[in-house]
Amino acid sequence: MGLVSYLVFFLIVVTIFGILTLGLNLQWGSTGVFNAGVVGFYAIGGYAFAILTAPARPELIGNLGLPWVVGIIGALAVSAVVAIFVGLATIKLRGDYLAIATFGIAVTIQLIALNWEGLTGGSLGLTSIPRPLSGIFTTPLSYNLFYLALTAGFCLLVYWALERVSRSPWGRALKAIREDEGAAIALGKNATSLRLQAFVLGSAVMGLSGALYVSFIGFISPFDFLPIITFQVWTMLIVGGSGNNKGALLGTLIVWGLWSASGTLISKIVPATYQTQGGAIQAILIGLVLVLTLLFRPRGLIGEEPVVSRHVT
Amino acid sequence: MIGQAIADGFLTGAILALGAIGVSLGSQILKFANFSHSELLTWGAYLALTFTAFASAGVPIGPLSFGWPLLVAVIIAGLLTGMLAVIVDRLIFRRLRSKNANNLTMVFASFGIALVLRNLVLLLWGPEAQYYTSELQIAIEVLPNIRLLPDQAFVLGLTIVLVIALHAMLKYSRLGMSMRAMAESPSLSRVCGVKIETVVRWTWVFSGMLAAMAGIFMGLTVQLRPEMGFNILLAIFTAAILGGSGSLFGAVLGGLVVGLAENLSVLIIPASFKAAVPFMILILVLYFRPQGFLGVKEKR
Amino acid sequence: MKWLVGLAAGATLVSAWSLSSQAQAQTAPSCPVKIGGILPLTGSMGPVGKRISDSAQLAIKHINEGGGIKGCPVEFVLRDDQGQPTVGVDAAKYLVEVERVPALTGTVSSGVTLPILTSVSVPSKIPQISCCSTAATFTTLAQEGKTGGFFFRTLPTVKTQAYASAQIAAERGFKRVAMIYINTDFGTGMVKDFTRAFSKLGGQVLKTVPYNENQASYRAEVNTALAEKPDAVFFVAFPQDGATMTREWISLGGTQNLILNNSLRSPEYVKAVGARFLQSAYGMDNASVSSPYVEAFKKAFQAAYNASPDGPGIYNQYDATMILGLAMNVASELNGTAIRDAIRKLQDPNGTVVGTGPEEFKKAMALIKERKPIRYSGATGPVEFDANGDINGAALIWTVKGDQLATERTLTIEDMAQVFKKIDG
Repeated sequence: MGLVSYLVFFLIVVTIFGILTLGLNLQWGSTGVFNAGVVGFYAIGGYAFAILTAPARPELIGNLGLPWVVGIIGALAVSAVVAIFVGLATIKLRGDYLAIATFGIAVTIQLIALNWEGLTGGSLGLTSIPRPLSGIFTTPLSYNLFYLALTAGFCLLVYWALERVSRSPWGRALKAIREDEGAAIALGKNATSLRLQAFVLGSAVMGLSGALYVSFIGFISPFDFLPIITFQVWTMLIVGGSGNNKGALLGTLIVWGLWSASGTLISKIVPATYQTQGGAIQAILIGLVLVLTLLFRPRGLIGEEPVVSRHVT
Repeated sequence: MIGQAIADGFLTGAILALGAIGVSLGSQILKFANFSHSELLTWGAYLALTFTAFASAGVPIGPLSFGWPLLVAVIIAGLLTGMLAVIVDRLIFRRLRSKNANNLTMVFASFGIALVLRNLVLLLWGPEAQYYTSELQIAIEVLPNIRLLPDQAFVLGLTIVLVIALHAMLKYSRLGMSMRAMAESPSLSRVCGVKIETVVRWTWVFSGMLAAMAGIFMGLTVQLRPEMGFNILLAIFTAAILGGSGSLFGAVLGGLVVGLAENLSVLIIPASFKAAVPFMILILVLYFRPQGFLGVKEKR
Repeated sequence: MKWLVGLAAGATLVSAWSLSSQAQAQTAPSCPVKIGGILPLTGSMGPVGKRISDSAQLAIKHINEGGGIKGCPVEFVLRDDQGQPTVGVDAAKYLVEVERVPALTGTVSSGVTLPILTSVSVPSKIPQISCCSTAATFTTLAQEGKTGGFFFRTLPTVKTQAYASAQIAAERGFKRVAMIYINTDFGTGMVKDFTRAFSKLGGQVLKTVPYNENQASYRAEVNTALAEKPDAVFFVAFPQDGATMTREWISLGGTQNLILNNSLRSPEYVKAVGARFLQSAYGMDNASVSSPYVEAFKKAFQAAYNASPDGPGIYNQYDATMILGLAMNVASELNGTAIRDAIRKLQDPNGTVVGTGPEEFKKAMALIKERKPIRYSGATGPVEFDANGDINGAALIWTVKGDQLATERTLTIEDMAQVFKKIDG
């Protein structure tokens, strides 16, 4: 029973991260946008949700106590709006430059969350964020099963939507930009605008993921949104296969599974006095997995599947 | 206070400049952002620490906090770090290059390598902060309200010497010319008889040595920690990008700009936003000048 | 490709194997009894977390030598939270659901303790004792009834340290103080409480400068505070960054009247800065009242680890773990709710006092068997949880004499009560 319960929890985290990875796959896999600030949009979605739905406190501007659905929609909207600004600011950048810029933006977002106490609670964070339908499912297991259904539902919805998008004319135009921008522009595609659209949509998806995470834990703090998460999500995408939505989800499962399992393994095998070193060993293991994957299987486990219009038989 | 902030900005800038030059050099060969470069800083610093552990930092020379053994350690650590850079390239980056791996693959490989290198330092030397010497220098007031540590002056001076030497080497020596030629066009250089592999190796050695020096200076003026390189990784990259890839003086300029910006910004905005300042500058500069200050416009 | 699938399959198999062996253990007799632990063994708190975990292990050793829990040996299942909330929650979930621990102790950073509490401990009705989380939020949550009484902590909130520091600052005649503090709930809480207290006592806090961890240099922060030319400066920091800051402060000509928080009470900080610059400094820590049990703990720790238990959280974690051991013996069954109630039974005013170490534990076991009430007086002194799971504490003032850390004086609980009265009215 306990095993089931833990697995349910594990899968909730996997589906939440899965949505995050899907958003990244839209940006990178489909469009070639190198977004190294994933955690920033994850944070914005989370904070937007928290500020909209948490119960009011005298020292905070936000905490409007609105319903859960409003929180989710708010998270999507705010992430999209911020992404528009970020996208416009970084519009001319390519590759590594874009990566550094987006990384910096994520750092700035985290710093704002850390310091704007009146809105975000600063380093103390925001608590008592309501969880949906917590009155109906009272035992931990039943609630977690419900929440898993919720996040898995969202995950599948996002997956389905993104699959349809990538097979649509819009999706094919995105791929065209990624493969050969010059040719696409010559054919009359507005590359800049398309790239921006993909960026915004992908970021909105990331914001959704953040909202779902915060809604589950019931608490948010700036320390939930450190750069290591960006690294984890990218690893998930690479290992599973960038450019492929199935790959994104598979990669999430494997990488989070490895991260979790290696933590368990080390805590069991390594004697207590060496636990600190155990953490270092875990990090080295993850690093090695990443490097070896890239050396021997750079397209990830699944690799990109050729996408052809569904009108072609 | 402004004077002090400017003085500190120059010091930070000097260290960032050394790191940025190394990154710039490396990106000539690799053509991507090598995020494991900052770990070379850390390794250089810790290797020097190991040497001074055998022979202590020595009787301090003059007002400086260290003696001859540290200077020797600098040279040895620099060479070893250069070798480490070559090894990493051999084992990983070269293989990826031969497979025509794309940009993302290389960047992530470098992340993975960085993770491994950083945690090896943690395993080998432990997580606590360390120092080259337990001496605490008291700053000397060189101008009204501006205090400088003798070590800082030393670092600044040595950085200037290094930059000039590097510039001279690149401009006038055979190796330097080969390096510049290879950066422009590997195929053409090969046709002209340049041994690509040798040049690649030497570029790594220089890149590693500069990183090691930056690391040692950092360890000298602040402290040694396993995350020390990682902590200034983004600042170094910002400096390199600001300066424009491929330009030595650009990297120096970028380093100084970032260093000054960080230290001066606290006069205007709360100190807790300090970490974001380099990025804000970067975004601003890149918006108007995507190739950086002194970089060459990318031909597409 | 195959090897990676193989790796993933292998990892899954190992997890499944280890998990199923737990499942098997449940159908067999319930020895060993498990206590869960979550601490930051890596990450920026790593060095601190490691020493705290040593203290927990010592307590487990004493529990086992003293007779274990309900006749069974105790197994301490310790997980690393890496300083990240998600990892901490995952570890907690694992401990509660898979290892089926009926109680757990953890963790240090409030930002990790809180999500563990709200998403794992409270819903699963498992008592959680933290050695080291100081955020006021826990008190508020308890007051609002959101913890179900399942949260306890064996350290006083920062208010004790802050008020005591302010009192001493006033006594030493400082009128203008600047503060440089770590930008976390701990630092922010300390600043708020100290400012309130110091202003009430007639002083002025000129400037408060927050800093983020792991920066290459803190010169900018130091300059900002220096510009005010304060009589004294209060550093709220952890040893590594704290040492960097202090060194930069001193070398830039700042005053050597330093006020230091409890985490800087570490030999590595003294060594890094240089004892000769710390002779005018003073710091605060939560005090153990002086008692033979405190001394016994110190001796035992020294003997086990060849180091003195100086540093944040070490005494507190020993008590947190011992309390769990005692409570789990007192509880009628090994489930969370019963243990929670049993924890409060350990402060019975009519109880016989039991202290630290295996012999005292044996004594406690005998008393429990005879259903006699007991009262725990541990490494931090007598432990009395209030309705919110908080404790009051004594404070101690430490200084550096020669090149060693020294205790200058202790402010007892009564002294602290007077200070609270003077400031809060």
